[in-house]
Amino acid sequence: MTTAEELSSLKESVLAQIASAENTAQLEAIRVAVLGKSGTLTAHLRNMGSVPKERKAEIGRAVNQVKAAVEEALDAAKASLAAQELAASIASDAVDVTLPGRAQHIGTRHLINAITDEIADIFLGLGYSVIEGPEVETDYYNFEALNAPADHPSRSMQDTFYVRDMTGREAAVKGESDILLRTQTSGVQVHAMEDEELPIYVIAPGKVYRRDVADASHLPQFHQIEGLVVDKGITFGDLKGTLDFLCKEVFGPDRKTRFRAHYFPFTEPSAEVDVSCGICGGEGCRMCKHTGWLEILGCGMVDPNVLSMSGIDPEVYSGFAFGMGVERIACLKYDVPDLRMLLDGDMRFLRQF
Amino acid sequence: MKLSLDWVREYVKVPDDLQAFCDRLDLTGTGVEGAEIIGDAFEHVYTARILTKEKHPDSDHMWVCTVDVGAANLDDDGNPAPLQIVCGAQNFEAGDHIVTALPGAVLPGDVKIKKSKLRGVVSCGMNCSERELGLGNGHDGIIILPKDAPVGVLYSEYLANTDTVLDLEITPNRPDCLSVTGLAREIGAMYQEDVANPLPEAAARLESLIEGRPVSEDVTVTIADEARCARYNARVVEGVKVGPSPDWLAQRVTAAGARSINNIVDVTNYILFLYGQPLHAFDYDRLKGEGGTVDVIVRPAEEGEEFTTLDGQDRVLNPDMTVIATPERAVALAGVMGGLDSEVEDDTTCVLLETATFSRAHTSRTSRSLGLISEASLRYERGVDAAPIDEISKAAAALMAEVSGGHARPGCVDEYLERPEGHDLRFRMQRFNAMMGADIPEDFVRDSLTRLGCTVETTGDADVLRVLTPTFRPDLEREVDLYEEALRLWGMDRIPPTLPASPERVGRRTRAEGIRRTVDATLRACGLSETMTYSFADALDLERLRMDGVAAGQAVELLNPMNADHAIMRRSIFPGLLRSVAHNQAHGVADVQLYEIGTVFSTTEGRQKPKESTKVAAVLVGAMEPGGWNAARVPFDFFDAKGICEALLHELACAKVRFKPLSEEEAPYLQPGRAAVIMANGAELGWVGELHPLAVAAFDVTGPVAAFELDLAALTKAARPARDYVDVPTHPAVEVDQAFVVAEGVTHEKMQQVMASAGGKLLESVALFDVYRDEERVGAGKKSLAYRLTYRADGRTLTADEVDKAHAKLVQKVQSATGAEVRA
Repeated sequence: MTTAEELSSLKESVLAQIASAENTAQLEAIRVAVLGKSGTLTAHLRNMGSVPKERKAEIGRAVNQVKAAVEEALDAAKASLAAQELAASIASDAVDVTLPGRAQHIGTRHLINAITDEIADIFLGLGYSVIEGPEVETDYYNFEALNAPADHPSRSMQDTFYVRDMTGREAAVKGESDILLRTQTSGVQVHAMEDEELPIYVIAPGKVYRRDVADASHLPQFHQIEGLVVDKGITFGDLKGTLDFLCKEVFGPDRKTRFRAHYFPFTEPSAEVDVSCGICGGEGCRMCKHTGWLEILGCGMVDPNVLSMSGIDPEVYSGFAFGMGVERIACLKYDVPDLRMLLDGDMRFLRQF
Repeated sequence: MKLSLDWVREYVKVPDDLQAFCDRLDLTGTGVEGAEIIGDAFEHVYTARILTKEKHPDSDHMWVCTVDVGAANLDDDGNPAPLQIVCGAQNFEAGDHIVTALPGAVLPGDVKIKKSKLRGVVSCGMNCSERELGLGNGHDGIIILPKDAPVGVLYSEYLANTDTVLDLEITPNRPDCLSVTGLAREIGAMYQEDVANPLPEAAARLESLIEGRPVSEDVTVTIADEARCARYNARVVEGVKVGPSPDWLAQRVTAAGARSINNIVDVTNYILFLYGQPLHAFDYDRLKGEGGTVDVIVRPAEEGEEFTTLDGQDRVLNPDMTVIATPERAVALAGVMGGLDSEVEDDTTCVLLETATFSRAHTSRTSRSLGLISEASLRYERGVDAAPIDEISKAAAALMAEVSGGHARPGCVDEYLERPEGHDLRFRMQRFNAMMGADIPEDFVRDSLTRLGCTVETTGDADVLRVLTPTFRPDLEREVDLYEEALRLWGMDRIPPTLPASPERVGRRTRAEGIRRTVDATLRACGLSETMTYSFADALDLERLRMDGVAAGQAVELLNPMNADHAIMRRSIFPGLLRSVAHNQAHGVADVQLYEIGTVFSTTEGRQKPKESTKVAAVLVGAMEPGGWNAARVPFDFFDAKGICEALLHELACAKVRFKPLSEEEAPYLQPGRAAVIMANGAELGWVGELHPLAVAAFDVTGPVAAFELDLAALTKAARPARDYVDVPTHPAVEVDQAFVVAEGVTHEKMQQVMASAGGKLLESVALFDVYRDEERVGAGKKSLAYRLTYRADGRTLTADEVDKAHAKLVQKVQSATGAEVRA
């Protein structure tokens, strides 16, 4: 067989192999067998030295033609097979996208603190800072400095937990003590007026304690958020506007507020604030005991005695204070059926918030 | 305070629209807690007539009657049908008109009337007495109506006197509102209506009821301590016949929430409710001394003095309490309750009537110390006005004489030691309106204060009113107290809402708050859910937790805990968290990841306020996830808790974080060998470990429980605002994997320290990627630690030679410092 014939038959057989290749790996094997270091066509190129001079040009051209044809066929076949293979691989990689994703475990905020955060953020926006106070207080900060001196009848409004006084001092009433678990966060008001510079714009969230048997709607420990403003020119209208804004932020823009005159020893005038019932829209339902209103917080203008006791001149400064129960808001917003769930630590409950 | 509208309407006009009236009460400061319509109790109660009356076949005192109830009971054809009713009363005959409760009626005391059998005889209702209907005390028999009474008419319609009783919340500053006349005055001010005061006329009636010797002849009153009793008035009503009250009187005291007892006691309660003045009626003869006189002494009780109050309870008194006494013995606990052995009884013929006022503070303390609250103590601790005492005493004596057929002896003994005075105040209109943010007219202020009982006068200053407050309003002491009155009557809802105009305020978060937020956010990002547990603890909790031996200070003890499980304040959050874990496990929740940031309490002898510190406490039980189709369940262990601590300290940019092993002596609550103290910059922050299996079992929890506790104050101190910036490397690093075989006792921390110092500047980082133990291949008591060491130079590419040299030096130093062998 002449060289030309050899080349021709090589070309045909290689092109046939390429045509019948089933995948890119077979193509690569063909490429190596033909064009690789020891490939059949490479052998021809390598043998060019032994080709007679007069035929070199002719055979060289023939070899190059075969090489070009093979390369072209390889590229074409590779493109086509690669596309098929990608399609096949994509097809086989398809998943059931409804299967659950790989679990990422993120914990949850306790409902009470979530609400506290929300309210703290609202007041931060209004220019208030957040302060804290101790949970065990002296009688002075919990009652006396709040204008409720010893034996003031308002004290019986709250049933107090008394703590053993380790100094051995005895209280005037059997079973009571000068040291107690705070029944209200209002004591933080006094700390603020003693410690902070004027003007004061603060809120004080915290845990408080009252002697109630734990049941669906009572806990012996719960949370309040106290607010205090002391500045020049503060009006009762400012108190109304502030709490109206708060209620709309927390409960929604269509909710109304209502101020009812009330009594607290440390504010004068004092009021309780109701928010319109979200279930019936104020028409009256079981949730609001058919009044259309839900009691949400207590408030008032800071009593001048309280200002004076903390060294602030009530003729120059005025202020307002308010306090709200966080558990109460939790119940109104989330319909928690039993307050004790807030203290159970049940993962199925906690992970809902 | 229960307010009968029927009663108060005698003195002031009350709007007909009940809902609007209640709303107005609510908004002006008198909370309405309920409204009861007395007639409601008479649903299914009809006028009726006895048709027949026959002996019960099986009883010697009961009767079987047929009762005509008109159209109130119909037969199948719609015709009126009489009912068979078994009746135990003896005061009726066939033909009498009576009152009958039909099945479905609910009578006072929640008595439900049903069709039933009495000794085998069917009874379809009940013939009622006054007492059964809550109308009075009459229980001598059933009510007999006049012969012309209609049959089959609702009894409430027949009476035509349904009354509405409001349950009002009277705030502690308003003693005046604990009376019908006080509330009449309040309602008058609410609606600008004039109010009638019944007292002058009621007192004047006494004049025609006086007979006998003057009271002063054989009654004396001595007040031993005027600070406890400002006024004590004693009057005597004799010739009384104790018996049931007239219906109108019984109805009034019943509507006010008291029980009708007898005519004498009912009069004292009637006056109490009408004027807010507590009275006490003593049996005069039981007070008499040997000389036949009654010598009343108001004195402090003696320490340990024993006294039986009229509720039959034996009380032990102390000198802070005040008693009303004769020279022989105490006869009443002043301001709180009378004594059992001097009370009016059925055979009483002569009454000593006490009308007095007692110290608010002493009454309040006595009431709280004894746990005894009465209608009297409730009023005395809020303040009872001494001024009208003589007039009220006269009114009471007159009424008592009228209803009991007796007469009052002339005069009284009236010890009046301290006269109450109102306050003389200014009311600055401009300041008032500036503080309210309103424009309330002066006319309104004047009218309102006047209707509340103040005297309002103009002054030389057009802006200033002079206001003299009445003695029955001890709460009106200062100008601002008057502001409140004017504002609440004007209506808080009429004040336009505004926001404070302060130019100076800024809202900011403190550093501590920011750190607390970072702690919360990081722990949640690490998969922990926040919880809250009780601040109260069981005294044995720390012992159960095996922490009692190492906890600082003493427990903070409650004087009046709710129960023994909550007798002290917690010294650790873990007992609470373990109870929550037990709760979850008991409810089939095996995977628990909880944290709480809360206060723990401790104290020491001689200390007044306890120490409070805030702890970050967490427990990990089970696994993070139950395991799924693409993830295996990986049970929690020590390293999960530690990893979270590491992440947290990284977030807080704490420097020089170290975990040092804790011994069993140092931390008996942790499993030995799985316990470490957490340090940053040389300061202790807390601990991490697995709770001791015995501690876990003591709380009925299935372990292991990985846990950590950090002190929030220490964390705040150790936290830095940010980590230091390090340039992002631009030149390539060389990584070398190197395994060392070391003895078990050689810690990873030790290896790290040696490598860090030996590697010098070129060693960028050391990462442990394998720990391997195998007795044959590694050797007993040994472990293989495999590290990936990263070498890199600043500003240039390292040569292979440099790395080889540095690494060889490192290996050699590790070998000499730790006895490590190089593992191929």
